[in-house]
Amino acid sequence: MNELQIHSKITSMEIDVLQALRQRTLDKYTAGPSIERARLFFLLLPFFDGQQWPEDVEDSAKTVAIVYAALHAHDQVKEDTPVSKSQQLTVLAGDFYSGIYYQLLSNSNNIKMIQLLASGIIGVSEKKATLYESQKMSIAGIENAAEVIETRLLRIFYDYYGFSQYASIAEPALEYVYFSRQLDYLQSGIETNLLSKLNQTLSLPMYSERWLLDKLDMLHHELNKALDGQQLDFHVKNFLLHQITPHQHLAEQLTREG
Amino acid sequence: MEKVKLKLLYSDLRPELDKIEKELEVAVGSNSLLLNEASLHLLQAGGKRIRPVFVLLAGKFGNYNVDVMKQVAVPLELIHMASLVHDDVIDDSEMRRGQATVKAQWNNSVAMYTGDFILARALEYITVIKDSEIHKILSKTMIEVCRGEIIQIEDKYKLDQSIRDYLRRIKRKTALLISSSCELGATVSGTDAETAARLRRFGYFIGMSFQITDDILDFTSTDEELGKPAGSDFIQGNITIPVLFARKDPKIYSKLKEALGKDLSDEERREIVRMIRDSNAMQEAKLLSDRYLEKALEELSHLPKGPANKTMRKIALFIGKRKF
Repeated sequence: MNELQIHSKITSMEIDVLQALRQRTLDKYTAGPSIERARLFFLLLPFFDGQQWPEDVEDSAKTVAIVYAALHAHDQVKEDTPVSKSQQLTVLAGDFYSGIYYQLLSNSNNIKMIQLLASGIIGVSEKKATLYESQKMSIAGIENAAEVIETRLLRIFYDYYGFSQYASIAEPALEYVYFSRQLDYLQSGIETNLLSKLNQTLSLPMYSERWLLDKLDMLHHELNKALDGQQLDFHVKNFLLHQITPHQHLAEQLTREG
Repeated sequence: MEKVKLKLLYSDLRPELDKIEKELEVAVGSNSLLLNEASLHLLQAGGKRIRPVFVLLAGKFGNYNVDVMKQVAVPLELIHMASLVHDDVIDDSEMRRGQATVKAQWNNSVAMYTGDFILARALEYITVIKDSEIHKILSKTMIEVCRGEIIQIEDKYKLDQSIRDYLRRIKRKTALLISSSCELGATVSGTDAETAARLRRFGYFIGMSFQITDDILDFTSTDEELGKPAGSDFIQGNITIPVLFARKDPKIYSKLKEALGKDLSDEERREIVRMIRDSNAMQEAKLLSDRYLEKALEELSHLPKGPANKTMRKIALFIGKRKF
């Protein structure tokens, strides 16, 4: 499977998800569902690697993307802003998307997946809430929160359909994407919950930057090791390294400068 | 006081409701201290638990087993709770049931995660039921309830909307979840299809009557009785049935049009409330509510007689007569 075919399959799933979540008013007044292509890539990774991919697996992958869109919508709800149509409908968008994922799985009689995803959402919501708690978190606690928030639902999907072997690639890669974004935020002066927790634990933003760069190095190393241990198609591997985790050179450069 | 009166009507269900209350407490338990606190805060604010009541009563028309009924009653109440905590973010509400809302006590994000957590708990809980029909009914209801709320936001400040628009909106916003409570209670207890359909329609008619009454009370009750200023719906741009009936008078129409969306003084707000209260609108709205009530009672008259039927009738009559 070449790069173009990978792009095309991701786009096709993106369109499917957008169609499932289409709602006139929500489309008009909210940012619309957020469907990260990196996440879709990892949901489709077993397919790209030639695993059996029947319709029910594709449908389940789609519902996982929908759950991420639902949770992401609620992450966009702002504090201390005047009541606006956009904010109100963003709240409802998340609830609506949750209803859609539940309906899709009910219609395909996949009750087990409903249960697994619900337990995954519980874990993700708990970790997101942890980042709001006032007490200091340990570095291990912060790392664990990030891991659960970014990868728990994907891991559930992999484990349920017998694709667990891809977790060793997907987990460091998705965390890599997450922490790269956090580094960008930090360098742009944007405060996130995770950065607040990090700053609280490491005392100075300068230390947080250092920590993030080290973390990215570590994740990159972990990802390379996992890729070496897996007979992944050349194009898929290339796509992953260049399209999904392309910031390594920047991290290396910053590490050298830092 | 009214809530106490309502609870007295279904006092026979007290042991089962206590069991459900305990299950709810367990269900909202979380590894996150914050979510644990926020969920318990919400749960302990109480509520009429009308959805579990309808699940239990509907179940009495079939093979009633409280341990089976709770598999539906608990998640339905959790779904309702999750929607309340998100609604408070939508409406920017500081108080609910006499205590601070989750968003006021913590913040919007904590309210969002609390709602997501409780909703997921509900879905996790209900998956002990393997019958996909139950899940189809519930998921469809959840989507329709959302659609109702989306339309409500879309229809805000639209004085020229039709009565049909209003009815469709309250059907989704309120009546469907009550209707589904009755239908799901009937289905899990194994009633025949006709009984389940009658109970579903009963729930729908009661839900419609309940919401219309609620909308009437927003104009007829005092600020103290409501716990918020009378006419709040109108002030927030929600066009309800008393307004839709009152606007038929051209003089009232132009005054409403002028006031809608403006930052009204307390006196101006009271004047609007007075104007609608003194019009024929209240009577027309009451008639409409009564018509739904009659339809609900009609459905009950075709169902087997017994204590559950009697309690449902009492609840229906109470809803029609409640003062606030």
